Amino acid sequence: MNPDLASRLAIRSMIYLAAEPIPFLWPMRTFIYNNPLHGLEGLPFAEAVTRGSNLFHARGYLSRGTYQNYLAAGEIDTDTLKSQVHELLGERDPVGALDLECWTFTMFTQCKPTLGLAPTLATPSDVRASLTGIEAEPATGFAAASTTALLTRELLEDCPIQEAIDALFGTEFSQEVDTLVIKNCLQFFDEGQATWTVPGREAGLFRAWRELSLHSLPVERHTRELRGILSAMEHPEDVIATVLTQMEVPEEHWIGYLTRELARTHGWSGFIRWRSTAKRYHWHKVFPGDLVDLMALRLALTQALLQSSKQSAYASRTALATAIEQRPAEMYLRSELYRGTILPQLAVTVEQALLRNKPADVASVFATYTRAKRDSEARDVADLLSELAQRTGQHSELSVLGGDELDSLLKTLAVCEQHEGMIWLRAMEAKTIQRVLNELSPVSAVSRVTRPFAQALFCIDTRSERIRRHLESVGDYQTFGIAGFFGVPVSFMGLGKGTETDICPVIVTPHNLVLEIAEPAELEDDTVLSVLGNSVHQLKESVVTPFVTVEAVGLLYGLEMIGRTFAPALHDRWQRRLQARRRRTHLLLDKLDRVQADSIVRAVQRGVIVRAIQQEFGLDPESVTDAMIRELRESALGHGSDLVACRAGLSTVEEQDLHAFIGRLQTDYEINTSFARLQLERLGRIGFTLDEQVNYVGQALRSIGLTENFSRFVLLTGHGSSSANNPYESALDCGACGGNHGLVSARVLAQMANKPQVRRRLAEQGIEVPDDTWFMPALHNTTTDEIELIDLELIPPTHAVYIDRLRQGLTASSRLCSQERIPTLGLDFYRSGDRAKAHSRARRNAMDWSQVRPEWGLARNAYFIIGTRDLTKGADLEGRAFLHSYDHRIDPHRRLLENILAGPLVVGQWINMEYYFSTVDNDRYGSGSKVNHNVAGRFGVMTGNISDLRSGLPLQTVVKDGVPYHEPTRLIAVIEAPLEHARQAVDAVKAVKQLVTNGWIRLLIVDPTTQVAYLFEDGTWCRHSQLAIAGRSSQEEVVSHG
Amino acid sequence: MSFSSLLLTACFLPLFPVSLVFNQLLGRLTHAALRAALVLLWPQAGVLVITRLDQAPPTWVLWWAILTSLLYALRLLAMRDVHLWVGFLATSQWSMLWLLFQDTPPHPSWIALGSSVPLALTVLLAGGLERRFGAAYTHLYGGLAALMPRFALMLTLSVLAATATPVFPQFFVLLLLLLDSPLELSLLILATALVWSWAGLRLLQGLLVGTEDRARPISDLRRMFAGAYALTLIALAVGGIYLSGGIQ
Repeated sequence: MNPDLASRLAIRSMIYLAAEPIPFLWPMRTFIYNNPLHGLEGLPFAEAVTRGSNLFHARGYLSRGTYQNYLAAGEIDTDTLKSQVHELLGERDPVGALDLECWTFTMFTQCKPTLGLAPTLATPSDVRASLTGIEAEPATGFAAASTTALLTRELLEDCPIQEAIDALFGTEFSQEVDTLVIKNCLQFFDEGQATWTVPGREAGLFRAWRELSLHSLPVERHTRELRGILSAMEHPEDVIATVLTQMEVPEEHWIGYLTRELARTHGWSGFIRWRSTAKRYHWHKVFPGDLVDLMALRLALTQALLQSSKQSAYASRTALATAIEQRPAEMYLRSELYRGTILPQLAVTVEQALLRNKPADVASVFATYTRAKRDSEARDVADLLSELAQRTGQHSELSVLGGDELDSLLKTLAVCEQHEGMIWLRAMEAKTIQRVLNELSPVSAVSRVTRPFAQALFCIDTRSERIRRHLESVGDYQTFGIAGFFGVPVSFMGLGKGTETDICPVIVTPHNLVLEIAEPAELEDDTVLSVLGNSVHQLKESVVTPFVTVEAVGLLYGLEMIGRTFAPALHDRWQRRLQARRRRTHLLLDKLDRVQADSIVRAVQRGVIVRAIQQEFGLDPESVTDAMIRELRESALGHGSDLVACRAGLSTVEEQDLHAFIGRLQTDYEINTSFARLQLERLGRIGFTLDEQVNYVGQALRSIGLTENFSRFVLLTGHGSSSANNPYESALDCGACGGNHGLVSARVLAQMANKPQVRRRLAEQGIEVPDDTWFMPALHNTTTDEIELIDLELIPPTHAVYIDRLRQGLTASSRLCSQERIPTLGLDFYRSGDRAKAHSRARRNAMDWSQVRPEWGLARNAYFIIGTRDLTKGADLEGRAFLHSYDHRIDPHRRLLENILAGPLVVGQWINMEYYFSTVDNDRYGSGSKVNHNVAGRFGVMTGNISDLRSGLPLQTVVKDGVPYHEPTRLIAVIEAPLEHARQAVDAVKAVKQLVTNGWIRLLIVDPTTQVAYLFEDGTWCRHSQLAIAGRSSQEEVVSHG
Repeated sequence: MSFSSLLLTACFLPLFPVSLVFNQLLGRLTHAALRAALVLLWPQAGVLVITRLDQAPPTWVLWWAILTSLLYALRLLAMRDVHLWVGFLATSQWSMLWLLFQDTPPHPSWIALGSSVPLALTVLLAGGLERRFGAAYTHLYGGLAALMPRFALMLTLSVLAATATPVFPQFFVLLLLLLDSPLELSLLILATALVWSWAGLRLLQGLLVGTEDRARPISDLRRMFAGAYALTLIALAVGGIYLSGGIQ
C-alpha cells in the first residue's frame, strides 16, 4: 500500500476514534433529543459523567445547594442518603474519635461551601496550625520539582498547545481559533440563510477553504503563515499529521489531543459528525464535509496563529516543557494569573513582577505568593472543618487530631465529595421511585363488559398522560399508549414539497414512501395574497431591498409587529383569514404495480415533453399531438423513431435543431433510460403491500394489547406543537416521528386499518375488527391541549351522529388539561384556575412571538411505564410518565416487549438524559438562554453573533425563576410483567441490557402475579416492595436474583 | 511659561513622565475614600495653577499633552486592576485639559470636576469589589450583573460617565475640544476618545458577564448607596448639560 495512503487512512481512523465521545447534533428543523454522553454509554453512569465533565468542562450533577433545597422540600430520601454515605465509608479507616458518617452527612446536608479541588500547597500541618492557632514549622516553599510536575500534568498532557499558551501568557489563541473555525463553518455549511455563499463548496470543506485561503489578501497577520502551510499540502490528513508533528505531540497522544480539540466546539463537531454519516442528507450530498476536514482546518489555523505571534517560540510541546522546567517559578505565577486561580490580593504584585521579568524579582514574588496561597488554602480548609466540627459537636475530637489523622480526614472528605453527586442522585431517585410505586395498582385486568364509546391511542409522550387522564374522566373512553409513529416508519413527501421527510425515530430507516396528493376538487390557482407573500419573501433575500423599499414596506411590517406583540390572538385570526384555506388531501400509500408505475413515468415524461416544446418552440399545447410526443419520447429513450409526425408538426424547425432538441430532452429534461429506471425505482418505494399493511396494523394493535372489544371510534392521536418565533419548535413535536408532527403516521395507520382487505387478513390472525369500527386520525396540540379530528369527510354516515358527542368529550378534556397545566407555566396576567381562561391563555401562548416558553415540553419526565392502563388508571402522574400500553398475556414469546424496549424505551432514555444534562449544567450541556439565541445557517443555534453551535435544551425549558423546574433523575422504567418474563426480554435486547447494567436507566419490574416490585440495583435484582391495592409499599429487602 | 511652573502644572494636569507622581500616589493609598478624594482634588490643583499663570500653553506642550493622553489611553486597554485603570484614565483625561487653555475656558474647575466625579465613583465601587472579592481585578471573577445587579448597574453608569459617553459632562468637554482644536489635534483627540470607550467596555466585560457559582452569597450594593450613586450621576449629567448651555 502507498505509505501516504496508509498514513492518511491511519489519520482518518484516529479522527473516527477521537470523535466517539462527541454526540451527534441534528439540524434544528428536526430536533432530536440525544444523550450528550451517548458516546460514553459503554461506561458506568458515574464514570461517564466524570469523563464528560473533564472533556466538556461541565458539571454532571446539580450543585450541593440545590440538592439541599430539594432535601428541605422533601424531594430526597434521607434514609437512602445515609445508607449511601455508610456504604461509601465502609471501607475507610476511622479517624480518631470522629463520627465520619455524621461528618459526611452534615457536610452534604448543612454546609454550603465544598472542599473542591484538593489544596495544592497547604499540608495537613498547615491546616492543623490554622485550626489550633499554633505556628507550624516555617513555610518551606513550593519545590521546583513539584511546580514542574504540577504544570506538566495540567498543561501538557492532552491539553491543546494553544490552551497551554493562553494559560501561561494570557493570550486568547483558543478563542481566536474557535472564532475563525466557526466563521468558516458558518460560511460553508449554510443551508440557504445567506444570500451570498462561499464559492467552490462542491469540492468539500477543506478544499473549498484551502482554495479561498490561498487567494486571501494578507490583511490578517496569520494569513501568510497559513498560505505557507496550505500551499505545501493538498490533503487534510497531511495537514493534520504535519501540524501535530511540528507541535511535537507524541503520536500515542494524538487521539486524546484530537478529542480535546473536537470537544472545544463540540456543537459544530457533533453536527459535522452527524452530517457526514447522513447519506441521504441533501446538503451533505452537494456540499460534503467531515471531521477530518474540520480538524485540518482547526490545526492549520492554530499553527498559523501561533507561528505568527510573539509566542511562536513556545508553539511546541518540547518548547513548553523546557520553559516549565527551566523557569518553574515564573511559569507557575503565569498559570496562576492567567487561569484565574490567583489570590486576588496579590494579582497586581504578580502581574507587575511578570512584566518586569527580572529573575530575582520573580523568585521573591514566587516565595511570597506560595506562602500566602498556602496560608489561604489552609485557612479555607480549617474554616470548613471548624464549621463541620461545630455542627456535629465534635470540636474537641477535631482539635486533638495529629497531622496524619488530619490528612486521613481530608482525604476521606475529598473522596466523599467526589461521590457526592451520585449519592444525592440516588437518594432523589429513591424518593421518585417510591412516589410512582405509591401510585401504581397492579390489579388483575378485568375484561370490559361494555363497549367503550371511543378508544384513543396516544403517543407515549409524557404530555399525553394528562390528556388521557382527563379524557377518561369525562366519559367512557379507553386510552392506550403507543410510540408516536404508531410503529409505521414512513418517508413522507408532503403536498407541493420536493423532499422526503422521515417520520420515524432516527434509529430507524424507512423503506416506504408515502405521497400526499390533493383531492382533485381542491386544485385551484394561487390566491393573490399567496403570490404577494412569495414576492415579499423574494424581496427579503435581496441585498438591495433595505435601501429601496424600507419606506414602502416598513410601515406594513411595523403594523404587523404591533399586532403580533400586543394582540397576538387578533393578529393570528386576521392572518388565518387572509391565508389560503388548507387543501383536502389524500395519502397514496398502496404499492404500485409495474404497469401503474410505468404509466406514471410515461405520464410525467409526456408532461415534460409538452412543456419543453412550449418553452423551446413556442407552440400552443393544442398543436402538440400525441404522435409527436410519442416519437420524441421514443427517440430520447434511444428506441429510434422516424420522427414523421415531429417533422410535420415542427415544420419550421431545422433537422439539426430537432436533433439538438432531442439531445436536450435527454440531458436537461432527463428523458432517458437511466433516469426512467431511477424513477421506477423511486416509484417502487411508494406505498405498502397488503402484507406490509396487515403486518403493521396487527403489530400496532398487539403491542398495546388491543385485540378485541373495539369501539365505534378508534382515534389515532398523533401530537405536535404550535409556537411562534421558536427555533426549538420541533423539539416540542413528536420525537418518535423524527421531530415532526405525528399526524402523518396517524393518517397512514388509519387508512390502512380501515381497509376491508386488511381487516379480513387480521381476522385470519385472530384480530376481529368489527365492521362499524372506524379508525380516525387526530392531532393533539400539546401547546393548546386541543385535539383536532382529521379526515372527517371520510367517516361513514352512520358515525356522523356520534361526532358531536366525541367532539364535546375531547373539548372537555382539553379544557381540563389546560386548567391543570397552565398554572405551572407561571404566566403573567394569569392567576385564577378558571378553565376557560386557562384554555384561552394556552392558545395565546401558541401565537405569542415573545413567549420563550410556549409549553414545558417533556420537562419533569421521570418514568417510563410499560404495562396495561389498569396499572396507572386513576394515578395522577403529573405529566411525568411515558406510558406505553403492553399486555404480557398476549406476548408469550416476549417479542412485543423486546420491540418496546429496543425502540421507545431507548428514545425515552435519550430524552431523559437530554433533560438531565441540560438541567445540571445548562451553560455547557444545554443551550443557554433563548434571549441570546441566534439562528445559524438554518440548521443550528448560536449564542450571540458567534459561538459554538448550542446543543441541548434552552434555559427556559428546564429552569423556572432561577430554580430547576425539571428534576434531574435517571429514567425510571417500570415493566408490568412476571419477573422472569421481563428479565429475559431485557437480557435479549443488548443495548437496553447495557443501559440498565451501567446504570443509565433505573429498572423496576412490577410482577402482577405476585404484586411485588423488583428493582435492579448494583448488578442484582432486589425485591423492593409489596404493592397493595392502594399502592403503599413496605420495606426493601435484598433478595439476590443474580 | 517658565520651566518650574510648567513642571508644577504637569504634575497636577499630568504629563508623561511627571504623571508617575500621581499614579504612584494613587497606588500607595489603600483606603477607597482617600483615593476618591485624591481623584477629586488633584486636577483642581492643576487648574488653579494654570489659571493663575494666565498664559496659553505653547503648541509643543499641547502636543505633549495629547500624546500623553493617547499613551495612557492605550495602556488602559491592558490594565486589569481597576484602581490602576482609574489612575490611567484620569491621567489621560486630565492631560487633555491642557488643550482647553488655548483660550480662556469657562468654568475650568467645574470641567475638571466633571471629569473627576465619575472616576471617584468608580474608585469607591472598586473598593467595594476589593472588600467582597479580595481585589478589584478584571477577568478573575465575573457574572456581577447576575450576582450584584445594583452594583453592576452603578459600575456600568460610572464607567460610561468616565469614558465620555453622552449625556455626561466629559462628552461635552470632548466636543468642545474637537471643535476648538486644529485638525491634527482633533484627530488624535477623537482616537483617544475611541480608545477610552473600548477600554471601558473591556473593563465591564471583565467584570459583569459570565457565570459565577459561589457557595457563599455576595451582598449587593445597599439600596441607600445605590440611590446616592444614582443621584450623583444624575446631578452630574444635569449639571454638565446646564454648564454647557443646554438648559437655559
